[in-house]
Amino acid sequence: MIVAAPAAKDRVKFNVGGRIFETTSTTLANAGRDSFFGPLFDENWDLKDSSQSVGGGEFFIDRNPDCFAVVLDLLRTGDLNIPPNIPERLLYREASFYGVLDHVRSAKWGPFDGNRLRYSKSISGTAPGDGTAIRAAPDGGCAVAHGSIVHVYDWMLSEEHPPLTLDHQRVNDVIWVDPENLAVSACERLGRGDGGLGLFNKTSGRLRFKFQVTHDNQVKSFTAGALATAQNPNHRIFSSCKGRSNEYGIGVWDQFTGKQVDFFYESPGWSLGDADRLQWLEERNCLLVATLFPRKDNCYISLLDFRTKDMVWSWSDVGAPMTVDERRVRDGIAMEGNNAICVVNEYEDLGFMDLRMNGGAIRWSSRSRLIMKGRMPDDEPCYPKLALHDGGQLFSSMNDCISVFCGPDMVMTSRLRRGYGGSICDFSIGGDRLFALHSEENVFDVWECPPPPVI
Amino acid sequence: MSNQKKRNFQIEAFKHRVVVDPKYADKTWKVLEHAIHEIYNHNASGLSFEELYRNAYNMVLHKFGEKLYSGLVSTMTSHLKEISKSIEAAQGESFLEELNRKWNDHNKALQMIRDILMYMDRTYIPSNHKTPVHELGLNLWRDNIIHSSKIQSRLLNTLLELVHRERTGEVIDRGLMRNIIKMLMDLGSAVYQEDFEKHFLEVSAEFYKVESQKFIECCDCGEYLKKAEKRLNEEIERVTHYLDAKSEIKITSVVEKEMIANHMPRLVHMENSGLVNMLLDDKYEDLGRMYNLFRRVPNGLLTIREVMTSHLRETGKQLVTDPERLKDPVEFVQRLLDEKDKYDSIINKAFSNDKTFQNALTNSFEYFINLNARSPEFISLFVDDKLRKGLKGVSEEDVEIILDKVMMLFRYLQEKDVFEKYYKQHLAKRLLSGKTVSDDAERSLIVKLKTECGYQFTSKLEGMFTDMKTSQDTMQGFYASHPELGEGPTLVVQVLTTGSWPTQPSSTCNLPSEMSALCEKFRSYYLGTHTGRRLSWQTNMGNADMKATFGKGQKHELNVSTYQMCVLMLFNNAERLSYKEIEQATEIPAPELKRCLQSMACVKGKNVLRKEPMSKDIGEEDAFFVNDKFSSKFYKVKIGTVVAQKESEPEKQETRQRVEEDRKPQIEAALVRIMKSRRVLDHNNLISEVTKQLQQRFLPNPTEIKKRIESLIERDFLERDNVDRKLYRYLA
Repeated sequence: MIVAAPAAKDRVKFNVGGRIFETTSTTLANAGRDSFFGPLFDENWDLKDSSQSVGGGEFFIDRNPDCFAVVLDLLRTGDLNIPPNIPERLLYREASFYGVLDHVRSAKWGPFDGNRLRYSKSISGTAPGDGTAIRAAPDGGCAVAHGSIVHVYDWMLSEEHPPLTLDHQRVNDVIWVDPENLAVSACERLGRGDGGLGLFNKTSGRLRFKFQVTHDNQVKSFTAGALATAQNPNHRIFSSCKGRSNEYGIGVWDQFTGKQVDFFYESPGWSLGDADRLQWLEERNCLLVATLFPRKDNCYISLLDFRTKDMVWSWSDVGAPMTVDERRVRDGIAMEGNNAICVVNEYEDLGFMDLRMNGGAIRWSSRSRLIMKGRMPDDEPCYPKLALHDGGQLFSSMNDCISVFCGPDMVMTSRLRRGYGGSICDFSIGGDRLFALHSEENVFDVWECPPPPVI
Repeated sequence: MSNQKKRNFQIEAFKHRVVVDPKYADKTWKVLEHAIHEIYNHNASGLSFEELYRNAYNMVLHKFGEKLYSGLVSTMTSHLKEISKSIEAAQGESFLEELNRKWNDHNKALQMIRDILMYMDRTYIPSNHKTPVHELGLNLWRDNIIHSSKIQSRLLNTLLELVHRERTGEVIDRGLMRNIIKMLMDLGSAVYQEDFEKHFLEVSAEFYKVESQKFIECCDCGEYLKKAEKRLNEEIERVTHYLDAKSEIKITSVVEKEMIANHMPRLVHMENSGLVNMLLDDKYEDLGRMYNLFRRVPNGLLTIREVMTSHLRETGKQLVTDPERLKDPVEFVQRLLDEKDKYDSIINKAFSNDKTFQNALTNSFEYFINLNARSPEFISLFVDDKLRKGLKGVSEEDVEIILDKVMMLFRYLQEKDVFEKYYKQHLAKRLLSGKTVSDDAERSLIVKLKTECGYQFTSKLEGMFTDMKTSQDTMQGFYASHPELGEGPTLVVQVLTTGSWPTQPSSTCNLPSEMSALCEKFRSYYLGTHTGRRLSWQTNMGNADMKATFGKGQKHELNVSTYQMCVLMLFNNAERLSYKEIEQATEIPAPELKRCLQSMACVKGKNVLRKEPMSKDIGEEDAFFVNDKFSSKFYKVKIGTVVAQKESEPEKQETRQRVEEDRKPQIEAALVRIMKSRRVLDHNNLISEVTKQLQQRFLPNPTEIKKRIESLIERDFLERDNVDRKLYRYLA
């Protein structure tokens, strides 16, 4: 690149669709080598002062000048300002041409902070029935499961990707393996080998392969439930499995090859195959498996170590006194940094358990329930759900609200609510965004943080 | 071109529509294909990047990504096939240069092609699971050039040939080598390993196998090691110059295996230059080299250590069992110390103070020092010699160093109690004769023994020092209370506590009347100041200074033992005395008397007496006279007693017996201690525990332990279990 050249030579003149722009190579360097502007400074191409630049050294680009102005401004300041007369979609298309779509995305919204979230927009879908799950993609897009269909949105939130389905069986869970691929778990269809667990490509919508469960060298059909992934070690994917005979437990596969690498069989009296939530704990190198009321009449939470095939930590409400019964646990999540597992009951009371000792009791935090008295759902309640961001902020959904908890004592610091669409049946955090899926209307909300202030 | 496409995509984005111009894709591709040709032909300056980029973009946008991609593959492949031909055509030396030049060209072209197809690389390729353009370019290069049948083996042979030439001393173009190897690594570590490294290692192994065989036939061990080290360093250097850093460990392990591991026993045992010779000649540099090289191979250090240990044990065994050496204990110990110093410095200078070697050294010394039962005695004698005279004029630090070395030998001893016995005897002699050179050195050694073996070990030795001090005070008190004693002989008494000092068979003699009167005075003074004590005279341990005038008026001061004094005093009143008369008058035990007469009558220069008949030995019929012709150039004459410095055989037996006797209560005490805490224990465990407890001081003999157990059973400390006779019970 000719960056070190004198000031005059640093200047670059463009003619974009008839309009003249002048800028510097330093500004264009912000776009990076892997953009349209990268080769302009490559000595192989010799573009700056050859036949390319006709009439006073202009460099012609046959594109929309209005959009180029926005892109150029983005490269100059790092700020994205889209004038009202330019549709976002058009701008994205142009940014994609120049190879600076990532710049646009990272300028569009700021780094995630539960207490700075602003409502951005709602997206309505067409699928009938209740939403099952919503999963944020690493790049800011998301996947929404409705019945037997999964709709995939890119970060621009116009549904450009084909919808996914696994033999048209009811979808139980979805998980992003990487920004390009996602796994879908579904119910089995008796005797047909349909359903189970499949890996899909986001862009093409094609089923790449199915993860299969093999027992005694025989492939068995199964219903796949909750999903989790582990990048360290070895790119694993975990799923709770229910089969015909004794294939109850947790299956483990390689994300890339789809080969089954392990299976943790359910021990008698301990429900693993029905699990609602799986979570990989990287530091401890084990998997949290939670099977919760009302899928089973009792709640089971355990940590599995696959290296020793051991249940290294466990808790269950079997045999707990009736007074505790009303506080039946509805969701649980491990917070490795705090050495704790956080659980929530149907009144959105938070409770904590110590991960370091087995057989401890739940310490319920004495939170006022007054705030909950506002608006109770008339029919069909949605159960509370939990999510964690970077180990520090805890999120809990209840009815049409999402509460944010912070600090060592998990104090409630913010509440997110939008009065349309009814109760929140699921929500997810990822790609610096929060997605909340409503149960009554087929609609989900997007919450994001504004970019950092100008000064 | 593509004027008609200006606003097309706005409509296209929402509806899938057919492309207007059915030949659109073919046309666009032709433009791009042409550009790729131009790029490969170094003719890119006429190309419009903007147009090419836009064309490729449009092709992907209009769903012709597949056509674009497959077109790229076939175009690039055909170019590479041509390149392959031109490389094949290169003759001899220029082959690698041509390959390198084409590789650089290809990389440049690849970069430019990727620039044009950037949009495809970013959008079409990930979603369709194709290989990205850059990687594709490398793969095609690998398949069409590196793996082409006419290049693959030629490339490998050329590279190996160059390495071989460099090994045999030629200068090669390392820059070119580096570029070609870098190319292989850029194509993936699998390519580098399969197409070069694997063969390189095989050829190297063969090369070093032959070379090491050649070297070992004609070099001595030191030279061989030098060559091996040089080769090893060359290979390491080669890796840094033009191979993958990961190869270092592989090639060095090849060299290590071929040059060192395979020849280890032969090298170590090489005649006249092997390890033993290096040790004998203190060849630190060679030893260090051997250590550093052998350390790299499995069991290398073990081999060195084993040879060193067995050599050390062998020489050590000779050292301590050679009867010639046993004549002089000081020399004996000095040799041990020298040996230790020698190996300490080898381990320090050549074996980088390796702990395992230090342990081997310690074990060897422990092994052979204890082969000779007299080692404890000799070590004590060595200390005695040093403390008597050896340390005169030596600085304090040097004294400490010598004492520390002695302590180190002491640590190797199994029978520390035997050493203690001897040490006590020797210390007693030193103290009583006032021969000790330095009180500080004595005390320093005792402190060292104390830290090594505990208070119990040294309490009696310390008692001896206290006695010496108290005696001085007592004598001052005695003379202060008897002012009239200024005239006449002076008496110096050392009052020794019984038990603290080595017990001597008390053989009294008749003191001359002058002396016995003085002694009586002292006795009554001492018993007057201390009640409840008993004094007995140890005349065999005393000495005296006498003034004598000989026949021609020569005056001398004679330093003699108490016995000798008694004999000489007799001659104040007699000219001639027979042996019988002397024996009668003094009542000195016969062996002592003989020794004492021998020292005065038969030693040249010290012969204050004359004997008839003249002979070397003292007979019962001999007669003695004052030797009037006695002369000496010194005024003071010290007449030593003929005492064997080393113990004679019966004395040795006696000491041994006393040691054994002393051990009995210690073994019993240990037995009772153990049984008291264990209550019940079987025979074997009891023996092993006792041995463990006592090995700080000595190695108890199992049969002796058994005897002690029997004795304890007799005295109702222990009993045998009724059912299991091997089990003992403690009786409280």
